[in-house]
Parts: sequence; C-alpha cells; structure tokens
Amino acid sequence: MQATIGAEIRLDALTKSYGDNLVLPGLDATLGAGEFTVILGPSGCGKSTLLNLLAGLERVTSGRILMNGREVQGLAPRDRGVAMVFQNYALYPHMTVAENIGYALKIAGVPRAERDRRIAEAARTVALGDYLTRRPGELSGGQRQRVAIARAIVREPSVMLFDEPLSNLDAQLRHGTRMELAALHRRIGASSIFVTHDQVEAMTLADRILILNKGRIEQFDTPEAIYRRPASTFVAGFIGAPPMNLLDAIAESGRVRLASGTVLAGTGANGPVTLGIRPETIHLNDVGEPVVVDYVEDLGGHHVLAAHLEDGQSLRIVTPPDRRPEPGERLHVSFAGASVHLFDAITGRRLADPAPIRSEGVPA
Amino acid sequence: MPPSFAGRWTPFWLSLPMLLIVALFFYIPVYLSFWWSFTLERPFGGGSEFVGFQNYARVLSDPIFWDAAWRTLVFMVFGSTLAIIVPLILALAADRMVPLSHTARNVLIWPKGIAGASIGVVFAFIFNPFVGIMAPLNGLFPGLWNPGSDGTDAFIMLLIAHVWNGIPFNFVILLAGLQAVPRSLTQAAAIDGASPWRRIRDVQLPMIAPQLFLTFVLEFTESVVSAFALIDTMTQGGPGGATRLLVYKIYQDGFKGYDLSGAATQSAILMVFVLCLAAFQFLYLEKKVRYER
Ligand SMILES: Nc1ncnc2c1ncn2[C@@H]1O[C@H](COP(=O)(O)OP(=O)(O)OP(=O)(O)O)[C@@H](O)[C@H]1O
Ligand SMILES: [Mg+2]
Repeated sequence: MQATIGAEIRLDALTKSYGDNLVLPGLDATLGAGEFTVILGPSGCGKSTLLNLLAGLERVTSGRILMNGREVQGLAPRDRGVAMVFQNYALYPHMTVAENIGYALKIAGVPRAERDRRIAEAARTVALGDYLTRRPGELSGGQRQRVAIARAIVREPSVMLFDEPLSNLDAQLRHGTRMELAALHRRIGASSIFVTHDQVEAMTLADRILILNKGRIEQFDTPEAIYRRPASTFVAGFIGAPPMNLLDAIAESGRVRLASGTVLAGTGANGPVTLGIRPETIHLNDVGEPVVVDYVEDLGGHHVLAAHLEDGQSLRIVTPPDRRPEPGERLHVSFAGASVHLFDAITGRRLADPAPIRSEGVPA
Repeated sequence: MPPSFAGRWTPFWLSLPMLLIVALFFYIPVYLSFWWSFTLERPFGGGSEFVGFQNYARVLSDPIFWDAAWRTLVFMVFGSTLAIIVPLILALAADRMVPLSHTARNVLIWPKGIAGASIGVVFAFIFNPFVGIMAPLNGLFPGLWNPGSDGTDAFIMLLIAHVWNGIPFNFVILLAGLQAVPRSLTQAAAIDGASPWRRIRDVQLPMIAPQLFLTFVLEFTESVVSAFALIDTMTQGGPGGATRLLVYKIYQDGFKGYDLSGAATQSAILMVFVLCLAAFQFLYLEKKVRYER
C-alpha cells in the first residue's frame, strides 16, 4: 500500500445540536497531519457525532472544519477525501468482498484493471486475499472487520475515521487487530481518528488522545501526559485501570490532609481540594491510615482492593499477589512516595503539583 | 424433533374450518369452472353436454377475446409497474425523512380501507370531464379529456385508479423494507462517493429485493383479477371495449350474455395464465432474491 499524505484537521468553534439538544457546544482543536488521534469519552458524549461531522454524514450547526486549510463542512462526504470504518462494519451484504472493497473505485470510475489491482493490494494488506469472492455473510467477525478496513484504505484517503471498530471483536482478536492497525497507520500515512471508550485502546494506539466529556474537550494530549498529568478529575477518573482515587481533602498551612488529619502531600493551595492518588502507588504497611476492605479482585498478577477510609471515602489499592486480603479485613496503608495530583474541589481542574510525602506524615 | 400435537387428528380439526372455506369458495368453483369449460351449459339449467375442447376453439378464435387479453396484458404491465414504482418513490422519500413524511405516512395508508367499488365511484367523479379536475384543461383545449368517449382516456383513468388503489399496501411493505436497511449502509455508500441515486440503485434496492419481489408477485395477480370493481363502477368496459379486460369480459359474457361455457372457458384460461405467471416468478425470479442481510 503506498503512503498517502495525511491531512491536518482543524476544528474551529465547531458546534452541533439536535433540536434543543446541544451535543457539541463548541470544539476547537488541531489534529496534526498523519497523526493518530484517539477520541475517548463515555457513552453519549458526542464521539460518533464528531466523527459524522468530519465525514460529512451530519451537517454542522455552526463553526468550521478545515482539512489542510480547506473548509470542508459544506462539502459532501465524497469530496472530503475521508474514509470510515463503522462499528458494525456496514459491509454491503449483497456484494462480494472484492465488490465491497472496490465499490468506491467503481463509483470514481477507476478502470477495471487498476481497480482489480488495487482491490487485491488492499486485500493483501489486511490478509484477506483468499476471501475476495465470498460475501460478508460468509465471513467471521474479524474477517468482516478486515474487509471494512480494506474498503477504507483502498481509496488512499487522507483521513481515516474509525468508530469503535474493535468493539465487536473478542479480546484476543482485538489485541491483534490493535497492533495491526497501529502498523497500518504508520504504513499508509493518513491522519487517523479513532473513536473508542476503551482506554487501553486509546493509550496504546494514540499519538494524542482527545478526551471528550459532554461534548467538551477535557484534555487533548499524548497518552503519557494524560496519564501523568490529567487536566481534571474527569480525566483522572477515566484513565488508568483501576482509575485514580479521588479523595476529598483540606489544604491548609502548606499541607493536604484527610478529615482524619493524615497528611497526604505538601501544597501551596488553601481550602477544600480533591486529591488524586494512583492505586498502584499506595502501599500496605502496619502503622498508616486504617482502611477496611470491601471487595477483592484477584487479577493473577496483582489484586485490586476496593476499600474505604474511616470517614467512608472509598479507595482502590493495587497490592502484590503474595498476600490476598479478605473482605472485611482491617489494613493500614501508606501514601508515602505515592503519585499525588491536586484538583480544585469545585471546578475539578488541576492545581499546581503537590509535593509527595517521603515517609509517614512528613511532607517533603 | 419439533413439538407435536398430542392427538393425531388435532391439527386436522384445528385447520378444518379454514380448509372448508378454501374448498367452498376456491377449489370447488375452480373445479366447476374447469368442468364447465369442457361442456356446453344451458343458461337456464336443464343439463349439460360434454363437448371436449370446442369451447376453447371457439374462445381462442374470437378476436374480441384476444383484444381483451391484449388489454389485460397492457393493463398488467403498466398497472403493476406503476403501482410499484409510485409507492416505491413515496417510500424512498418517506424513508429519507423529507418534510411532511410523517403526515404522508398516515395519509398514504388510509386508502387501504376503501373498497375498490368506492374508489371507482370517486374517481369517476374526479375525472369527470365537466366537473372533475380536468375540467379547466378541457375549457382551454376542448375535447382534450373525455373518458366517456375516448378509449385511451378511459384506460388511463382506470390505470390511475388502480395505481392509487395499490399505493397503501405496497407503500407499507416497501417502506418497512427500507427502514430495515441499516443506516450505516447508506452512510458507508455516501462516504464511498455514491450519489443519492447510486445509493438507491446499488444499496437500497438490492436490500429490499425480497419486498420488491413480494409486491411484484401480488401486484401482477392483483392487476389481472381485481380491476373488476373499478371497471364496473367507472366504465363498464367502454367506451368501445377500450377498458374491457378479461375479468370484465368474463362477467359480461357469463351474466349479461348467458354464455356460461364461454365465460367458464375464459376463466380457466385466465387462471392458468395467472398460475403460470406466479410459477415463473417463484421458480425463476425468486432465485435472484437474496434474503440474507
Ligand atoms: N440523530 C440524532 N438525533 C438526535 N440526537 C442524537 C442523534 N445522534 C446522536 N444524538 C444525541 O447526541 C448525543 C451524542 O451521541 P453520540 O452518538 O455522538 O454519542 P457517542 O459518544 O458516540 O456514544 P457511544 O459511545 O454510546 O457510541 C447523545 O445524547 C444522543 O442522544
Ligand atoms: Mg458512538
């Protein structure tokens, strides 16, 4: 498959509403040329809507979409150089695999010989060469998925849109397809926009992740930055498995305390705050903050404990596999050396980095 | 093993009423009319005489029979084609949610509740050359429209009434088919560059092939046999036999002309024709219809 040039996509005050339902209240973002952008967000936050706007399947309410500087929001789908892979594959059931892949070329009037060559090439790229004469009804889910991808890449689009393309596959197939998609993206060079609500897909595939919450961009950054410096409690609670703990705490005289008085971090902030702590950076010890275990998930390599503090706030803790606590058991945990994040208790936005404590009760 | 009834005869008892009705109103008349087509029936009773194929020879050598047969064929081809194409266009529009499609959906279904004879009466009035919708045009171009004296006008009027009569059912069937086509398929086609017309041709029509097949089978039969009520109320076969289709000729010959054997013979021919048509559709066309989605 020859490399195409990906388009830079700019969203300029893009809004979309269905009647009174303002789904996208205003998006501004620039997606780099050839970049792999993952749009991540909970169900109903407007991910598919955004993708449909980019593809031209829905009309924008206001604002602009620019691809390589060209305004496209008024153009028909076929004039945008965009290809799309649908969640349910959307293969034409009455056409063979080859006809499915080649339909766009046929419409574009590509001569028969070249069409056949490009169909064969696209099919080879997704390892489907043997199935060209079958119909979609005679293929497995994974194979249909490949046909959908071949249908998208055969046109050598400058933008590839994926709407949760892996969600109908089983875990193993999903893993394999994920790696192939990443490789394919590097090979064909199109700008890819991939919608998912699976954070593992987002973390592994993305150059940058755009996190949507109720149609607004919470954060648009590299997976690493999103993991290390979540911009809000929403992002913090969305990324990581299990996600970050968010505790109500008080910041005063340079310290962040729990209601129990335990010092968790040093800070310059004052007043009520939300403190984020990654579950895998909390340790069990004999003298720290007491917690009661509610529930234990044994994941083989580690345990995930759902517990609660004395003031009732819940806390997730990742513990090594050597000791398996029981529900109802009283444990002590230490936040020393934990990765801590501070958020405004009201707006949920990130505050200046707090200082982690080195040992029990002593801020750095 | 599929679940079965406890009593061996239970299925028989359960289906007996239906079997009786079908026998009484379908198989016995069919049998009788085939029997009569081989006999010479006296119009006022008093015995019959077996005459072999004489009735057939007589009917088939009658130019009026061939005239009616030809008109039936023309009516069948144009009537059923239009009675599918018009609802198809309406269904495509309703499926695309053009403005007012919700209202239209309801309005289009109501005619289903009207008997053919009533439609005939209403249309005869609507197309009346002096007070109907064509009256203003007749004022401008005198004699342009007069189904009472112009055979072509009468035939067109009959066609329109028939098509209108067929709209509700075919519309509902085709719209149901279109609505079952996943939206993502037409979206995918749009992204693949297909214009709305190509999407209809390449995606939507193939996807509703089963529904189209069903409407064609029913419509072909319908157009041959059920134009009777319309003809009887609007034109009585006239003017000059222009709207005398076979069904109406059979009625005229049998009940007006008291040629019972001739009418029975023509009924038999018509039945064989409709049967062959249906057989062809099922044996040949249905193979081309894919039901998988
Ligand atoms: N055609 C439509 N008409 C009216 N409202 C719509 C339409 N499509 C989407 N919506 C609304 O827009 C909002 C966003 O929908 P969207 O499909 O973009 O969510 P999503 O993020 O893709 O969710 P999911 O992860 O479940 O697919 C929802 O509240 C939905 O009800
Ligand atoms: Mg969606």
